[in-house]
Amino acid sequence: MWRIDTSTTAGQVFIGLIVLGFLAFFVGMIPLMQALPPRGRRLLIGAVTFLAGAIFAAEFFLPVDKKGENWLSPAIEPAQSTLQIINALALGLGTYGLMRLHLRNIVQKRAQWGYSVVLILAFLAMGFFSVWNTLAEKGELPKTGFLNKGFGLLFDNMYIPLDAAMFSLIAFYIFSAAYRAFRIRSIEASILMFTAMTVMIGIVMLGNIISYSWLGLPVEQTPEMEKNPFSPANIAYNLALPRVAYWILQVLNAPVQRAIEFGVGIGGLAMAIRLWLSLERGVT
Amino acid sequence: MSYQHAADNWFSAIIIGIITMAVLLNIFRAKAGAQLYIRRISGLDAIDEAIGRSTEMGRPVTMIPGLTAFGVVAVQALTIFKYITKQIAKFATPMRLLTADAAVYAVAQEAIHDAYNEAGRPDLYDPDSVRFLSDRQFAFASGVAGLIQRERVAANFMFGEFYAESLIFAETGNIVGAIQIAGTTSFTQVPFFVVACDYTIIGDEFYATSAYLSREPVLLGSMVGQDIAKFIFLLTIAVGTVASTMLGADHPFIKLLGMPGGWDAFWRHVLGGK
Repeated sequence: MWRIDTSTTAGQVFIGLIVLGFLAFFVGMIPLMQALPPRGRRLLIGAVTFLAGAIFAAEFFLPVDKKGENWLSPAIEPAQSTLQIINALALGLGTYGLMRLHLRNIVQKRAQWGYSVVLILAFLAMGFFSVWNTLAEKGELPKTGFLNKGFGLLFDNMYIPLDAAMFSLIAFYIFSAAYRAFRIRSIEASILMFTAMTVMIGIVMLGNIISYSWLGLPVEQTPEMEKNPFSPANIAYNLALPRVAYWILQVLNAPVQRAIEFGVGIGGLAMAIRLWLSLERGVT
Repeated sequence: MSYQHAADNWFSAIIIGIITMAVLLNIFRAKAGAQLYIRRISGLDAIDEAIGRSTEMGRPVTMIPGLTAFGVVAVQALTIFKYITKQIAKFATPMRLLTADAAVYAVAQEAIHDAYNEAGRPDLYDPDSVRFLSDRQFAFASGVAGLIQRERVAANFMFGEFYAESLIFAETGNIVGAIQIAGTTSFTQVPFFVVACDYTIIGDEFYATSAYLSREPVLLGSMVGQDIAKFIFLLTIAVGTVASTMLGADHPFIKLLGMPGGWDAFWRHVLGGK
């Protein structure tokens, strides 16, 4: 019902008409929105938001057939594609904003305007080779040695290493942040440091060496240990650093993370309800 | 493609319905004039202090929504930034809002413009203060870190979804001595913010922020609704824990509490296998 056969001329014409119709609708909306008073504009936006949300809500609640679909299910994918189109349009707006800022920096010779020149040159070069490379991969443009060298130099030899370098910085930042966090200034900081040290040592090989080679704690749980959970052998087995680290992560850490996730999920749901019903007055 | 449906387990759909009703009823109750309480969140009280410090030092404030794509989290982050901008506008403190998502950038421009208008200082709005840097994670991270270093920002607000770049932002802010307040829904990044920032807003406190700052009845009512929803979840967890201990994890009642097909399995069991 929601799909059009684009292999036929009639289908292609129909698709073209739909695209033109939507384009005319959106272009027509601009003067309409400007002409409306703020209250009317808000009402119109609220109505469109409610209708868009109602499609997803109705699709979720309506009964489904054996394939797990109802009559609205095929509309969900096109609706999500619409969001991608809006994002693509916004990307153009973002790029325009970026270029405008840096061109102004150059024209007005603001402080450190040289970086803006580098940015614009990098943007143009990367854009040129990326578009050429994409078209060449589709067979619409020739794949020449110049393209391979240019794209390889910019993407493989410059962008990827720079990206990796930024990622690598995190290791040093973790070190400096951990140093500050683990300074023993209070009981809480001491507990944090002790717990973190236990987990860190427990999950690397050092934990195994300390627990099993140096202290000689049992590596495996025997049936006798299982029968007598409070036997000294079973207690010693559970005191091995890898098991303590696992216990901290699974029994203490995981439930807390899940609790935070629950809270975030409920908060997100409440926010979505407020947005859907236009009760939220933040940025709308 | 098959999506999740209410018919997969009607129990979950009923819970969603109850939560929705709890939120809406409390919103209407708050609108009718009911006095609702919200506890103190020190990180949010510190926002004004951070803005004041920036004003005194004459250095900019940065606002970063992270890698948030446009959606519920982005709207919440921009609502907080709009409040901060209104405060900033009173003192003519410079600000930078840096985004990694083009759609967020477009909405942020309008939101910040509105904030200056509402504060009565439309003359202070600079379109270049809201910037789209890059949609690539570490290109964005390097852009933000560079700006924080170059402009020696005095206050850094990070609200939204963050990933591995969170520590780059927070540590760079720490290096330049900025007061930093962060709030994120990405629970994996909370520890990084806790160690590197002055104040961290954790989990659903992020969604409480706009209610806390604005004290709007709609938002306060919604918060009470959320608390009722949390109580329902706690009750479900407690009942589920006791029931699975007594009946076993494969019992139809346990399946009813959250597994796909649990509703049908439960009623088949109740109706004697029919």
